[in-house]
Amino acid sequence: MKKNIKIITKHWGKINPLRIEEYLKEGGYKALEKFIFQMRPEEAIQEIEASNLCGRGGAGFPTGKKLKMVAERKEKEKYFICNLDESEPGTYKDRMIVKNNPQLLLEGLIISALTVGASKAFIYLNGNYEEEKYILEKALAQAEKEKFLGEKILSSGYNLELKLFFGAGAYICGEETALINSIEGKRGEPRMRPPYPTEKGLWEKPTAVNNAETIANIPWIILEGGKKFATIGAECSPGTKLYILSGAINNPGVFEAPTGITVRQLIKEIGGGIPKGKKFWFAQIGGASGVLAIGKDLDAELTFSKNCLIPLGSGSVLVIDKSVEIYDLLFSWSDFFRRESCGKCLPCREGTFRLNEIIQRFEDGKISQRDKKALGQILWSLENTAFCPFGKFVAKPFQDALEKLDIFKNV
Amino acid sequence: MVMKTTEKILLNYDPEKENLLPVLKEISSFFGFISEKNAQKIADYFSLSLSQIFETASFYDFLKVKNSPQIFIKICSGTVCATIGTRKIIKEIENKLKIKIGDDFNPRIKLETASCLGHCGEGPIVIVNGQVYKKVTVSSIHEILEKYV
Repeated sequence: MKKNIKIITKHWGKINPLRIEEYLKEGGYKALEKFIFQMRPEEAIQEIEASNLCGRGGAGFPTGKKLKMVAERKEKEKYFICNLDESEPGTYKDRMIVKNNPQLLLEGLIISALTVGASKAFIYLNGNYEEEKYILEKALAQAEKEKFLGEKILSSGYNLELKLFFGAGAYICGEETALINSIEGKRGEPRMRPPYPTEKGLWEKPTAVNNAETIANIPWIILEGGKKFATIGAECSPGTKLYILSGAINNPGVFEAPTGITVRQLIKEIGGGIPKGKKFWFAQIGGASGVLAIGKDLDAELTFSKNCLIPLGSGSVLVIDKSVEIYDLLFSWSDFFRRESCGKCLPCREGTFRLNEIIQRFEDGKISQRDKKALGQILWSLENTAFCPFGKFVAKPFQDALEKLDIFKNV
Repeated sequence: MVMKTTEKILLNYDPEKENLLPVLKEISSFFGFISEKNAQKIADYFSLSLSQIFETASFYDFLKVKNSPQIFIKICSGTVCATIGTRKIIKEIENKLKIKIGDDFNPRIKLETASCLGHCGEGPIVIVNGQVYKKVTVSSIHEILEKYV
Protein backbone atom coordinates (compact mmCIF):
# COMPACT_ATOMS: atom_id res chain seq x y z
CA MET A 1 0.00 0.00 0.00
CA LYS A 2 1.39 3.37 -1.03
CA LYS A 3 1.09 5.37 2.14
CA ASN A 4 2.48 8.70 1.11
CA ILE A 5 0.36 9.41 -1.91
CA LYS A 6 -1.27 12.84 -1.69
CA ILE A 7 -4.14 13.78 -3.95
CA ILE A 8 -6.04 16.48 -2.10
CA THR A 9 -3.46 17.75 0.36
CA LYS A 10 -0.61 17.93 -2.19
CA HIS A 11 -0.40 21.73 -2.25
CA TRP A 12 -1.62 22.45 1.28
CA GLY A 13 0.50 25.00 3.04
CA LYS A 14 2.63 25.55 -0.07
CA ILE A 15 0.35 27.88 -1.97
CA ASN A 16 -1.60 30.98 -0.98
CA PRO A 17 -5.31 30.05 -1.21
CA LEU A 18 -6.20 33.62 -2.17
CA ARG A 19 -4.00 33.70 -5.28
CA ILE A 20 -4.92 31.65 -8.33
CA GLU A 21 -1.49 32.32 -9.88
CA GLU A 22 0.23 30.10 -7.32
CA TYR A 23 -2.13 27.22 -8.05
CA LEU A 24 -1.59 27.69 -11.79
CA LYS A 25 2.17 27.61 -11.28
CA GLU A 26 1.84 24.23 -9.53
CA GLY A 27 0.05 22.80 -12.57
CA GLY A 28 -3.47 23.81 -11.62
CA TYR A 29 -6.32 23.69 -14.16
CA LYS A 30 -4.31 21.31 -16.38
CA ALA A 31 -7.07 18.76 -15.82
CA LEU A 32 -9.72 21.20 -17.00
CA GLU A 33 -7.67 21.95 -20.13
CA LYS A 34 -7.25 18.24 -20.79
CA PHE A 35 -10.97 17.67 -20.32
CA ILE A 36 -11.98 20.50 -22.63
CA PHE A 37 -9.50 19.98 -25.45
CA GLN A 38 -8.83 16.23 -25.43
CA MET A 39 -11.87 14.50 -24.01
CA ARG A 40 -15.57 14.08 -24.63
CA PRO A 41 -17.80 14.18 -21.53
CA GLU A 42 -18.57 10.44 -21.90
CA GLU A 43 -14.86 9.65 -21.84
CA ALA A 44 -14.41 11.64 -18.65
CA ILE A 45 -17.28 9.79 -17.01
CA GLN A 46 -15.78 6.47 -18.15
CA GLU A 47 -12.52 7.52 -16.54
CA ILE A 48 -14.31 8.38 -13.27
CA GLU A 49 -16.23 5.09 -13.39
CA ALA A 50 -12.98 3.18 -13.90
CA SER A 51 -11.51 4.90 -10.85
CA ASN A 52 -14.27 3.37 -8.70
CA LEU A 53 -14.40 6.64 -6.75
CA CYS A 54 -17.24 6.66 -4.26
CA GLY A 55 -18.94 9.52 -2.44
CA ARG A 56 -16.91 10.90 0.43
CA GLY A 57 -19.83 12.39 2.34
CA GLY A 58 -20.42 9.11 4.12
CA ALA A 59 -22.87 7.07 2.05
CA GLY A 60 -20.24 5.95 -0.46
CA PHE A 61 -22.40 5.93 -3.61
CA PRO A 62 -20.24 5.38 -6.76
CA THR A 63 -19.58 8.85 -8.19
CA GLY A 64 -19.17 7.72 -11.81
CA LYS A 65 -22.56 6.01 -11.71
CA LYS A 66 -24.25 9.12 -10.33
CA LEU A 67 -22.70 11.39 -12.96
CA LYS A 68 -23.66 8.93 -15.70
CA MET A 69 -27.27 8.80 -14.51
CA VAL A 70 -27.57 12.58 -14.77
CA ALA A 71 -25.57 12.82 -18.01
CA GLU A 72 -27.90 10.33 -19.71
CA ARG A 73 -31.05 12.31 -18.92
CA LYS A 74 -32.58 14.06 -21.91
CA GLU A 75 -33.70 17.28 -20.15
CA LYS A 76 -32.06 20.48 -21.29
CA GLU A 77 -31.72 22.01 -17.86
CA LYS A 78 -29.55 20.11 -15.41
CA TYR A 79 -27.89 21.13 -12.19
CA PHE A 80 -24.77 20.23 -10.29
CA ILE A 81 -24.45 20.91 -6.57
CA CYS A 82 -21.34 20.75 -4.43
CA ASN A 83 -22.35 19.77 -0.91
CA LEU A 84 -20.25 21.84 1.48
CA ASP A 85 -22.83 21.92 4.26
CA GLU A 86 -20.45 20.14 6.55
CA SER A 87 -22.08 20.02 9.97
CA GLU A 88 -21.28 16.60 11.39
CA PRO A 89 -19.78 17.21 14.84
CA GLY A 90 -16.01 16.78 14.82
CA THR A 91 -15.76 16.96 11.02
CA TYR A 92 -14.01 19.85 9.30
CA LYS A 93 -12.29 18.29 6.27
CA ASP A 94 -14.20 20.23 3.59
CA ARG A 95 -13.52 23.45 5.43
CA MET A 96 -9.79 22.63 5.28
CA ILE A 97 -10.00 21.97 1.53
CA VAL A 98 -11.46 25.45 1.01
CA LYS A 99 -9.01 27.05 3.41
CA ASN A 100 -5.94 25.50 1.82
CA ASN A 101 -6.74 25.04 -1.84
CA PRO A 102 -10.10 26.41 -3.02
CA GLN A 103 -9.06 26.33 -6.68
CA LEU A 104 -8.66 22.53 -6.62
CA LEU A 105 -12.27 22.29 -5.49
CA LEU A 106 -13.42 24.70 -8.20
CA GLU A 107 -11.51 22.82 -10.89
CA GLY A 108 -13.09 19.51 -9.88
CA LEU A 109 -16.47 21.18 -9.64
CA ILE A 110 -16.25 22.71 -13.13
CA ILE A 111 -15.19 19.39 -14.68
CA SER A 112 -17.92 17.39 -12.90
CA ALA A 113 -20.62 19.92 -13.81
CA LEU A 114 -19.56 19.93 -17.47
CA THR A 115 -19.50 16.11 -17.69
CA VAL A 116 -23.18 15.90 -16.76
CA GLY A 117 -24.07 18.80 -19.03
CA ALA A 118 -25.18 21.16 -16.26
CA SER A 119 -25.55 24.81 -17.16
CA LYS A 120 -25.72 25.98 -13.57
CA ALA A 121 -23.85 24.75 -10.53
CA PHE A 122 -24.19 25.60 -6.85
CA ILE A 123 -21.88 25.39 -3.88
CA TYR A 124 -24.00 24.89 -0.78
CA LEU A 125 -21.84 26.26 2.02
CA ASN A 126 -22.45 25.76 5.74
CA GLY A 127 -23.91 28.98 7.18
CA ASN A 128 -21.29 29.09 9.94
CA TYR A 129 -18.36 29.19 7.54
CA GLU A 130 -17.87 32.97 7.24
CA GLU A 131 -14.14 32.83 6.58
CA GLU A 132 -14.54 30.13 3.92
CA LYS A 133 -17.26 32.19 2.26
CA TYR A 134 -14.81 35.04 1.82
CA ILE A 135 -12.13 32.70 0.39
CA LEU A 136 -14.57 31.06 -2.02
CA GLU A 137 -15.96 34.39 -3.23
CA LYS A 138 -12.44 35.54 -4.04
CA ALA A 139 -11.51 32.24 -5.68
CA LEU A 140 -14.67 32.36 -7.81
CA ALA A 141 -13.93 35.87 -9.04
CA GLN A 142 -10.35 34.89 -9.94
CA ALA A 143 -11.42 31.74 -11.79
CA GLU A 144 -13.97 33.76 -13.72
CA LYS A 145 -11.32 36.29 -14.69
CA GLU A 146 -9.07 33.50 -16.00
CA LYS A 147 -12.00 32.23 -18.12
CA PHE A 148 -12.39 28.94 -16.28
CA LEU A 149 -15.98 29.87 -15.50
CA GLY A 150 -18.83 31.74 -17.11
CA GLU A 151 -19.52 31.80 -20.83
CA LYS A 152 -17.23 30.11 -23.37
CA ILE A 153 -14.84 28.48 -20.91
CA LEU A 154 -11.27 28.70 -22.32
CA SER A 155 -12.86 29.87 -25.62
CA SER A 156 -14.62 26.49 -26.07
CA GLY A 157 -18.34 25.85 -26.40
CA TYR A 158 -18.83 25.10 -22.71
CA ASN A 159 -20.75 27.48 -20.43
CA LEU A 160 -21.19 27.24 -16.70
CA GLU A 161 -22.71 29.57 -14.16
CA LEU A 162 -21.56 28.94 -10.60
CA LYS A 163 -23.41 30.31 -7.61
CA LEU A 164 -22.46 30.29 -3.96
CA PHE A 165 -25.40 29.43 -1.73
CA PHE A 166 -25.06 30.07 1.98
CA GLY A 167 -26.90 27.74 4.36
CA ALA A 168 -28.87 28.88 7.39
CA GLY A 169 -27.75 26.52 10.11
CA ALA A 170 -29.52 23.19 9.78
CA TYR A 171 -27.71 19.86 10.05
CA ILE A 172 -30.29 18.02 7.98
CA CYS A 173 -29.51 20.22 4.94
CA GLY A 174 -26.45 18.03 4.41
CA GLU A 175 -28.89 15.37 3.19
CA GLU A 176 -29.17 15.91 -0.56
CA THR A 177 -32.94 16.23 -0.94
CA ALA A 178 -33.17 18.53 2.10
CA LEU A 179 -30.36 20.58 0.61
CA ILE A 180 -32.30 20.92 -2.64
CA ASN A 181 -35.43 22.02 -0.75
CA SER A 182 -33.35 24.59 1.06
CA ILE A 183 -32.09 26.13 -2.20
CA GLU A 184 -35.68 26.25 -3.44
CA GLY A 185 -36.52 28.41 -0.42
CA LYS A 186 -38.48 25.72 1.41
CA ARG A 187 -38.03 24.10 4.80
CA GLY A 188 -34.94 21.90 4.75
CA GLU A 189 -36.86 18.66 5.05
CA PRO A 190 -35.92 15.54 3.10
CA ARG A 191 -38.04 14.46 0.15
CA MET A 192 -39.59 11.11 -0.62
CA ARG A 193 -37.31 8.93 -2.72
CA PRO A 194 -37.76 7.79 -5.50
CA PRO A 195 -37.71 9.93 -7.60
CA TYR A 196 -34.06 10.40 -6.86
CA PRO A 197 -32.39 13.80 -7.41
CA THR A 198 -30.66 12.33 -10.46
CA GLU A 199 -34.14 12.19 -12.07
CA LYS A 200 -36.02 15.02 -10.35
CA GLY A 201 -33.86 17.24 -8.21
CA LEU A 202 -33.59 21.00 -8.08
CA TRP A 203 -36.66 22.62 -9.71
CA GLU A 204 -37.71 19.06 -10.71
CA LYS A 205 -34.70 18.79 -13.05
CA PRO A 206 -31.95 16.13 -12.98
CA THR A 207 -29.40 17.11 -10.35
CA ALA A 208 -26.14 15.61 -9.18
CA VAL A 209 -25.18 16.39 -5.58
CA ASN A 210 -21.61 15.54 -4.67
CA ASN A 211 -19.55 16.09 -1.54
CA ALA A 212 -16.71 18.60 -1.73
CA GLU A 213 -14.04 16.00 -0.98
CA THR A 214 -15.32 13.73 -3.77
CA ILE A 215 -15.11 16.63 -6.20
CA ALA A 216 -11.57 17.48 -5.13
CA ASN A 217 -10.46 14.01 -6.36
CA ILE A 218 -11.72 14.59 -9.91
CA PRO A 219 -8.80 16.66 -11.35
CA TRP A 220 -6.30 13.97 -10.33
CA ILE A 221 -8.42 11.21 -11.93
CA ILE A 222 -8.71 13.15 -15.19
CA LEU A 223 -4.96 13.79 -15.31
CA GLU A 224 -3.59 10.48 -14.08
CA GLY A 225 -6.35 8.15 -15.22
CA GLY A 226 -8.99 6.17 -13.40
CA LYS A 227 -7.08 2.87 -13.47
CA LYS A 228 -4.23 4.36 -11.46
CA PHE A 229 -6.67 5.74 -8.90
CA ALA A 230 -8.28 2.33 -8.49
CA THR A 231 -4.99 0.83 -7.29
CA ILE A 232 -4.74 3.15 -4.26
CA GLY A 233 -6.09 1.96 -0.92
CA ALA A 234 -8.86 -0.60 -0.38
CA GLU A 235 -10.17 -2.43 -3.43
CA CYS A 236 -13.88 -1.90 -2.78
CA SER A 237 -13.60 1.86 -2.26
CA PRO A 238 -10.23 3.02 -3.59
CA GLY A 239 -8.45 6.33 -3.24
CA THR A 240 -7.33 8.43 -0.36
CA LYS A 241 -9.49 9.95 2.33
CA LEU A 242 -9.18 12.90 4.66
CA TYR A 243 -9.24 11.72 8.26
CA ILE A 244 -10.04 14.10 11.08
CA LEU A 245 -8.44 13.04 14.34
CA SER A 246 -9.63 14.53 17.63
CA GLY A 247 -10.06 13.69 21.27
CA ALA A 248 -7.35 11.91 23.32
CA ILE A 249 -4.63 11.97 20.68
CA ASN A 250 -1.20 13.58 20.40
CA ASN A 251 -1.57 15.25 16.98
CA PRO A 252 -5.16 16.20 16.31
CA GLY A 253 -5.98 17.57 12.83
CA VAL A 254 -6.83 16.64 9.25
CA PHE A 255 -4.65 14.07 7.47
CA GLU A 256 -4.77 12.35 4.10
CA ALA A 257 -4.25 8.59 3.95
CA PRO A 258 -5.46 5.74 1.73
CA THR A 259 -8.76 4.03 2.46
CA GLY A 260 -8.55 0.60 4.02
CA ILE A 261 -6.35 1.85 6.84
CA THR A 262 -7.13 0.50 10.32
CA VAL A 263 -8.09 2.58 13.34
CA ARG A 264 -4.95 1.39 15.11
CA GLN A 265 -2.74 2.69 12.28
CA LEU A 266 -4.58 6.00 12.29
CA ILE A 267 -4.14 6.53 16.01
CA LYS A 268 -0.58 5.24 16.26
CA GLU A 269 1.14 6.17 12.99
CA ILE A 270 -0.73 9.31 11.96
CA GLY A 271 -2.09 10.65 15.22
CA GLY A 272 1.10 10.01 17.19
CA GLY A 273 -0.62 7.78 19.74
CA ILE A 274 -2.56 8.53 22.88
CA PRO A 275 -1.16 11.09 25.37
CA LYS A 276 0.78 9.70 28.31
CA GLY A 277 -1.27 8.75 31.32
CA LYS A 278 -4.47 8.23 29.33
CA LYS A 279 -6.00 4.85 28.59
CA PHE A 280 -7.82 4.06 25.36
CA TRP A 281 -11.49 3.22 25.83
CA PHE A 282 -13.09 3.42 22.40
CA ALA A 283 -13.12 5.53 19.25
CA GLN A 284 -16.13 6.93 17.41
CA ILE A 285 -15.72 6.79 13.65
CA GLY A 286 -17.68 9.15 11.40
CA GLY A 287 -19.06 11.92 13.60
CA ALA A 288 -21.87 11.97 16.17
CA SER A 289 -23.80 9.35 14.23
CA GLY A 290 -20.80 7.08 13.78
CA VAL A 291 -20.19 3.58 15.09
CA LEU A 292 -18.02 2.91 18.14
CA ALA A 293 -14.80 0.94 17.73
CA ILE A 294 -13.63 -0.80 20.90
CA GLY A 295 -10.35 -2.65 21.40
CA LYS A 296 -11.22 -5.68 19.25
CA ASP A 297 -12.33 -3.55 16.28
CA LEU A 298 -9.09 -1.62 16.02
CA ASP A 299 -7.62 -3.83 13.29
CA ALA A 300 -10.68 -3.74 11.03
CA GLU A 301 -10.11 -1.96 7.73
CA LEU A 302 -12.00 1.28 7.25
CA THR A 303 -13.88 1.33 3.91
CA PHE A 304 -17.18 2.57 2.47
CA SER A 305 -18.38 -0.95 1.73
CA LYS A 306 -21.75 -1.82 3.27
CA ASN A 307 -20.57 -5.07 4.80
CA CYS A 308 -17.42 -3.82 6.46
CA LEU A 309 -17.27 -3.90 10.23
CA ILE A 310 -16.50 -0.23 10.75
CA PRO A 311 -17.87 2.06 8.00
CA LEU A 312 -15.75 5.08 7.31
CA GLY A 313 -18.55 7.66 7.26
CA SER A 314 -17.31 11.22 7.13
CA GLY A 315 -13.82 10.09 8.18
CA SER A 316 -13.69 11.67 11.60
CA VAL A 317 -12.08 9.70 14.42
CA LEU A 318 -12.82 10.79 17.99
CA VAL A 319 -10.65 8.95 20.49
CA ILE A 320 -12.22 8.56 23.92
CA ASP A 321 -10.07 7.70 26.92
CA LYS A 322 -11.21 6.16 30.19
CA SER A 323 -11.34 9.50 32.04
CA VAL A 324 -14.36 10.62 29.97
CA GLU A 325 -17.78 10.19 31.56
CA ILE A 326 -20.18 8.35 29.29
CA TYR A 327 -23.02 10.72 30.28
CA ASP A 328 -21.19 13.57 28.62
CA LEU A 329 -21.20 11.76 25.30
CA LEU A 330 -24.74 10.45 25.60
CA PHE A 331 -25.88 13.95 26.44
CA SER A 332 -24.01 15.39 23.46
CA TRP A 333 -25.51 12.89 21.03
CA SER A 334 -29.09 13.00 22.27
CA ASP A 335 -29.11 16.79 22.61
CA PHE A 336 -27.67 17.20 19.14
CA PHE A 337 -30.14 14.83 17.50
CA ARG A 338 -33.14 16.27 19.35
CA ARG A 339 -32.22 19.76 18.19
CA GLU A 340 -31.44 18.83 14.60
CA SER A 341 -34.33 16.45 13.91
CA CYS A 342 -36.36 18.30 11.30
CA GLY A 343 -39.72 17.15 12.64
CA LYS A 344 -41.11 15.77 9.41
CA CYS A 345 -41.69 12.19 10.58
CA LEU A 346 -42.98 11.04 13.95
CA PRO A 347 -40.41 8.34 14.87
CA CYS A 348 -37.57 10.83 14.63
CA ARG A 349 -39.33 13.89 16.07
CA GLU A 350 -40.67 12.08 19.14
CA GLY A 351 -37.95 9.45 19.37
CA THR A 352 -35.07 11.89 19.65
CA PHE A 353 -37.02 13.90 22.25
CA ARG A 354 -37.75 10.86 24.43
CA LEU A 355 -34.19 9.65 24.00
CA ASN A 356 -32.95 12.95 25.38
CA GLU A 357 -35.34 12.70 28.36
CA ILE A 358 -34.20 9.16 29.17
CA ILE A 359 -30.55 10.19 28.99
CA GLN A 360 -31.23 13.04 31.41
CA ARG A 361 -32.88 10.65 33.83
CA PHE A 362 -29.94 8.27 33.39
CA GLU A 363 -27.60 11.08 34.35
CA ASP A 364 -29.58 11.87 37.49
CA GLY A 365 -29.54 8.16 38.40
CA LYS A 366 -33.32 7.88 38.16
CA ILE A 367 -33.51 5.43 35.29
CA SER A 368 -36.11 2.66 35.66
CA GLN A 369 -36.70 -0.75 34.09
CA ARG A 370 -39.42 0.87 31.99
CA ASP A 371 -36.93 3.38 30.59
CA LYS A 372 -34.54 0.62 29.61
CA LYS A 373 -37.29 -1.21 27.76
CA ALA A 374 -38.49 2.01 26.12
CA LEU A 375 -34.96 2.82 25.01
CA GLY A 376 -34.77 -0.44 23.08
CA GLN A 377 -38.13 0.23 21.43
CA ILE A 378 -37.23 3.81 20.50
CA LEU A 379 -33.97 2.72 18.92
CA TRP A 380 -35.73 -0.02 16.98
CA SER A 381 -38.37 2.33 15.59
CA LEU A 382 -35.77 4.97 14.76
CA GLU A 383 -33.73 2.48 12.80
CA ASN A 384 -36.61 0.83 10.98
CA THR A 385 -39.33 3.41 10.50
CA ALA A 386 -37.69 6.86 10.19
CA PHE A 387 -38.29 8.69 6.90
CA CYS A 388 -34.69 9.54 6.03
CA PRO A 389 -31.24 8.15 6.97
CA PHE A 390 -31.03 10.59 9.89
CA GLY A 391 -33.13 8.24 12.07
CA LYS A 392 -30.85 5.30 11.39
CA PHE A 393 -27.84 7.44 12.23
CA VAL A 394 -29.39 8.45 15.56
CA ALA A 395 -29.85 4.85 16.62
CA LYS A 396 -26.34 3.67 15.71
CA PRO A 397 -24.16 5.19 18.47
CA PHE A 398 -26.72 4.37 21.18
CA GLN A 399 -27.01 0.76 20.02
CA ASP A 400 -23.25 0.47 20.01
CA ALA A 401 -23.02 2.04 23.45
CA LEU A 402 -25.55 -0.48 24.77
CA GLU A 403 -23.95 -3.50 23.12
CA LYS A 404 -20.24 -2.77 23.19
CA LEU A 405 -19.87 -0.61 26.28
CA ASP A 406 -22.70 -2.09 28.35
CA ILE A 407 -23.52 1.29 29.89
CA PHE A 408 -26.41 -0.02 31.99
CA LYS A 409 -24.25 -2.56 33.80
CA ASN A 410 -24.41 -0.76 37.14
CA VAL A 411 -27.99 0.50 36.94
CA MET B 1 -24.84 56.24 6.28
CA VAL B 2 -28.00 55.68 4.31
CA MET B 3 -30.71 53.90 6.26
CA LYS B 4 -31.30 50.41 4.95
CA THR B 5 -34.92 49.51 4.65
CA THR B 6 -36.66 46.27 3.90
CA GLU B 7 -37.41 47.50 0.39
CA LYS B 8 -33.78 48.31 -0.26
CA ILE B 9 -32.68 44.85 0.84
CA LEU B 10 -35.34 43.24 -1.32
CA LEU B 11 -34.36 45.20 -4.42
CA ASN B 12 -30.84 43.74 -4.26
CA TYR B 13 -32.30 40.36 -5.16
CA ASP B 14 -34.35 39.03 -8.07
CA PRO B 15 -37.70 37.66 -6.93
CA GLU B 16 -36.66 34.08 -7.69
CA LYS B 17 -37.27 31.38 -5.13
CA GLU B 18 -33.59 30.51 -4.78
CA ASN B 19 -33.09 34.01 -3.35
CA LEU B 20 -35.71 33.58 -0.63
CA LEU B 21 -33.38 32.09 1.97
CA PRO B 22 -30.63 34.71 1.41
CA VAL B 23 -33.24 37.50 1.73
CA LEU B 24 -34.69 36.04 4.93
CA LYS B 25 -31.19 35.75 6.36
CA GLU B 26 -30.28 39.32 5.56
CA ILE B 27 -33.51 40.73 6.99
CA SER B 28 -33.29 38.56 10.09
CA SER B 29 -29.72 39.61 10.84
CA PHE B 30 -30.36 43.29 10.04
CA PHE B 31 -33.50 43.73 12.14
CA GLY B 32 -32.70 40.98 14.66
CA PHE B 33 -35.78 39.04 13.62
CA ILE B 34 -38.40 38.79 10.86
CA SER B 35 -41.50 40.74 11.89
CA GLU B 36 -44.91 40.00 10.42
CA LYS B 37 -44.84 43.33 8.61
CA ASN B 38 -41.54 42.51 6.95
CA ALA B 39 -42.65 38.96 6.21
CA GLN B 40 -45.69 40.37 4.37
CA LYS B 41 -43.40 42.59 2.26
CA ILE B 42 -41.19 39.59 1.42
CA ALA B 43 -44.27 37.53 0.57
CA ASP B 44 -45.54 40.21 -1.81
CA TYR B 45 -42.15 40.59 -3.45
CA PHE B 46 -41.76 36.85 -4.11
CA SER B 47 -45.47 36.34 -4.90
CA LEU B 48 -45.81 33.84 -2.07
CA SER B 49 -48.27 33.62 0.80
CA LEU B 50 -47.41 34.87 4.28
CA SER B 51 -47.64 31.34 5.66
CA GLN B 52 -45.07 30.10 3.14
CA ILE B 53 -42.63 32.74 4.40
CA PHE B 54 -43.10 31.68 8.02
CA GLU B 55 -42.99 28.02 7.01
CA THR B 56 -39.43 28.51 5.81
CA ALA B 57 -38.39 31.11 8.39
CA SER B 58 -39.37 29.02 11.40
CA PHE B 59 -37.20 26.09 10.30
CA TYR B 60 -33.67 27.46 10.25
CA ASP B 61 -31.45 28.28 13.21
CA PHE B 62 -30.18 31.51 11.66
CA LEU B 63 -33.64 32.93 11.09
CA LYS B 64 -35.55 34.39 14.03
CA VAL B 65 -39.26 35.08 14.00
CA LYS B 66 -39.28 36.48 17.53
CA ASN B 67 -37.26 39.35 18.94
CA SER B 68 -34.15 37.87 20.52
CA PRO B 69 -33.36 38.35 24.23
CA GLN B 70 -30.80 40.87 25.48
CA ILE B 71 -28.36 38.22 26.56
CA PHE B 72 -28.20 35.23 24.26
CA ILE B 73 -25.79 32.50 25.32
CA LYS B 74 -24.99 29.59 23.06
CA ILE B 75 -22.83 26.69 24.17
CA CYS B 76 -21.39 24.03 21.88
CA SER B 77 -22.53 20.51 22.76
CA GLY B 78 -20.71 18.74 19.94
CA THR B 79 -19.01 15.49 20.87
CA VAL B 80 -15.54 16.97 21.26
CA CYS B 81 -16.64 19.87 23.49
CA ALA B 82 -18.91 17.53 25.44
CA THR B 83 -16.03 15.28 26.44
CA ILE B 84 -14.15 18.23 27.94
CA GLY B 85 -16.79 19.79 30.15
CA THR B 86 -19.80 21.32 28.33
CA ARG B 87 -22.23 19.73 30.78
CA LYS B 88 -20.51 21.17 33.87
CA ILE B 89 -20.44 24.63 32.31
CA ILE B 90 -24.15 24.44 31.51
CA LYS B 91 -24.90 23.54 35.14
CA GLU B 92 -22.74 26.46 36.26
CA ILE B 93 -24.56 28.96 34.00
CA GLU B 94 -27.96 27.58 35.00
CA ASN B 95 -27.18 27.98 38.68
CA LYS B 96 -25.63 31.41 38.34
CA LEU B 97 -28.32 33.00 36.16
CA LYS B 98 -31.22 30.91 37.55
CA ILE B 99 -32.35 29.80 34.11
CA LYS B 100 -32.87 26.42 32.49
CA ILE B 101 -31.31 25.48 29.19
CA GLY B 102 -33.61 25.87 26.21
CA ASP B 103 -36.62 27.50 27.91
CA ASP B 104 -38.18 30.92 27.34
CA PHE B 105 -39.29 31.81 30.90
CA ASN B 106 -36.76 34.59 31.34
CA PRO B 107 -37.44 37.18 28.64
CA ARG B 108 -34.05 38.82 29.13
CA ILE B 109 -31.66 35.86 29.10
CA LYS B 110 -31.67 32.76 26.95
CA LEU B 111 -29.32 29.77 27.05
CA GLU B 112 -29.18 27.33 24.17
CA THR B 113 -26.99 24.46 23.05
CA ALA B 114 -25.52 24.70 19.57
CA SER B 115 -24.23 22.06 17.20
CA CYS B 116 -20.56 21.70 16.46
CA LEU B 117 -19.15 25.09 15.53
CA GLY B 118 -15.98 23.74 13.95
CA HIS B 119 -13.55 24.94 16.63
CA CYS B 120 -13.06 21.40 17.94
CA GLY B 121 -9.41 21.96 18.87
CA GLU B 122 -10.21 24.90 21.15
CA GLY B 123 -13.31 23.83 23.07
CA PRO B 124 -15.44 24.10 25.07
CA ILE B 125 -16.94 26.99 23.09
CA VAL B 126 -19.37 29.54 24.51
CA ILE B 127 -20.90 32.32 22.40
CA VAL B 128 -22.49 35.30 24.14
CA ASN B 129 -24.27 37.77 21.85
CA GLY B 130 -22.10 36.72 18.93
CA GLN B 131 -18.79 36.98 20.81
CA VAL B 132 -16.92 33.64 20.73
CA TYR B 133 -15.13 32.45 23.88
CA LYS B 134 -12.76 29.51 23.51
CA LYS B 135 -11.40 27.03 26.08
CA VAL B 136 -14.01 28.06 28.64
CA THR B 137 -13.74 26.51 32.09
CA VAL B 138 -16.10 26.25 35.06
CA SER B 139 -14.29 29.20 36.67
CA SER B 140 -13.71 31.40 33.63
CA ILE B 141 -17.41 31.31 32.73
CA HIS B 142 -18.14 33.50 35.76
CA GLU B 143 -15.83 36.26 34.49
CA ILE B 144 -17.42 36.06 31.04
CA LEU B 145 -20.96 36.33 32.38
CA GLU B 146 -20.05 39.27 34.70
CA LYS B 147 -19.46 41.37 31.58
CA TYR B 148 -23.05 41.00 30.45
CA VAL B 149 -25.20 40.60 33.57
